[in-house]
Amino acid sequence: MNETSAQRDKKLPPKVSGAKADMGHMEEFSANFGRFMMRANAECGELAEFNMAGQETVLMSGPEAQEAFLKTLDNKLSRAASYQATVPVFGKGVIFDAPPERMKAQLKIQVNALRYQNMKNYTAVINQEVEDWVADWGDEGELDFLDEFIQLTLHTATHCLLGADFRNQLTDEFKSLYHDLEAGLQAIAFVDPYMQQPVFEARDKALIRLQELISEIITERRKNSDKEYGDALETFMAGSYSDGSLLSDNEITGLVIATMFAGHHTSSGTATWILTELARHPNYSDEIVTELQTVFKDDGTITLESLREMPKLEAFIEEVLRLHPPLVLLMRKVMEDIDFKGTLIETGKTVAISTYGSHRNPDYFPDPETFNPARDKPDNLYAFIPFGGGPHKCAGNAFALMQLKAIISVLLPRYTFELVDPPETYQDDMSAMVLKPTGPCRLRYKKRQ
Amino acid sequence: MKIKVDIDLCQGHSVCLAEAPEVFDVVEVDDGYPLVKVLQGNPPEALRAKVERAAKYCPNRVITIIED
Repeated sequence: MNETSAQRDKKLPPKVSGAKADMGHMEEFSANFGRFMMRANAECGELAEFNMAGQETVLMSGPEAQEAFLKTLDNKLSRAASYQATVPVFGKGVIFDAPPERMKAQLKIQVNALRYQNMKNYTAVINQEVEDWVADWGDEGELDFLDEFIQLTLHTATHCLLGADFRNQLTDEFKSLYHDLEAGLQAIAFVDPYMQQPVFEARDKALIRLQELISEIITERRKNSDKEYGDALETFMAGSYSDGSLLSDNEITGLVIATMFAGHHTSSGTATWILTELARHPNYSDEIVTELQTVFKDDGTITLESLREMPKLEAFIEEVLRLHPPLVLLMRKVMEDIDFKGTLIETGKTVAISTYGSHRNPDYFPDPETFNPARDKPDNLYAFIPFGGGPHKCAGNAFALMQLKAIISVLLPRYTFELVDPPETYQDDMSAMVLKPTGPCRLRYKKRQ
Repeated sequence: MKIKVDIDLCQGHSVCLAEAPEVFDVVEVDDGYPLVKVLQGNPPEALRAKVERAAKYCPNRVITIIED
């Protein structure tokens, strides 16, 4: 028996019902992909094949299937082939457009910027940014925290990545370029990022201008090479390939953009949800304030070390990440046929895992829709996956948690928070690429006595 | 105690090196992330607190302590 017929005899993944003629499940999927994934899993089990406008996609559910997905390397399950929409946003030759060896080198340089020494600097930067933000709050008021956190995390991200000078001169031009790049990563870009569309033209112009702007900073810094900055740009500029050559200016710009995209809206959305859930649950909020007062009782300084031991706040943040995982869905392209427990997933298909669905699996999270920071964490590492897992786990996870804890450590001991609008109006926006509450997300704050 | 590392999960964040330099180093490799290198597989009891911190604060939970 030749290989082809052997494969033909193998079981294929069951198909999800309700596919439409041309677009498959695209409409149902786009309307609410978290819920669609849960339906697919409930109907078909561990493997569920659906159709996204022609792309056959297999959802892998449950910790075993998710572990297989997360541990399989790029040569078999490719991130690059799934995330080509990022190429015109990060620039040519950057990360998912680079040959495998260069991509690895770039990701390594990106992680270098997140190592221990840098993290200490970032903690101080974030603390300062949060202090500056709350400085004019007064005794009480009302804010749209979704919008506020988008601004705050844009400030912290640019400050940590590009340094104090850049952050302090943050221009409307930069904000508008960044906005145009973001708009270039909407859902249709994952179908074809090179269509003739005004948003894509704006994206391409924005990238060229941003490359110019960052190139100017790089040139300036190379002239003053004895100065130390302690930011990510410094690390990116020092990084080299295995042959010793440095990254080009455009590659450095690409890493800056990629890092902003990885960390910005994921953090702003999660911070908004944390504060909203704190407003909804004053009892937990009080417990966390007590914990923070203990941590900072001798010395009020927020440092990387002081933020590390906050079990109550950590459990609270984890529960927020369980119910509101910022990245709802992770994808890979199948480069070589995969056998999962006797079922064949063929080359050319896409595979996906759903953090949103996994975190609502009642086998691992009883009464899953209930917000309960005291719930037992599953032993299985692949049931709770807000940062993915395996060799490609989000390298910014420690940065993200540090930033969230730093923000809450400043806000919560000083202010109480309450919802302004009816509780049921604070919902996940399930159509966004990165999960966030439907805006505006208004909360009222009052200074604690 | 014995130290076990799951090297596939290591991304070279270097928290272990900062906490317990007697026990952990982080070394460059040919391609990909720098990786943890265990200098003492059976560290003395005196280093327990440091090793426990290294394991606990590793962002990727690479390090496990196995009791003898």
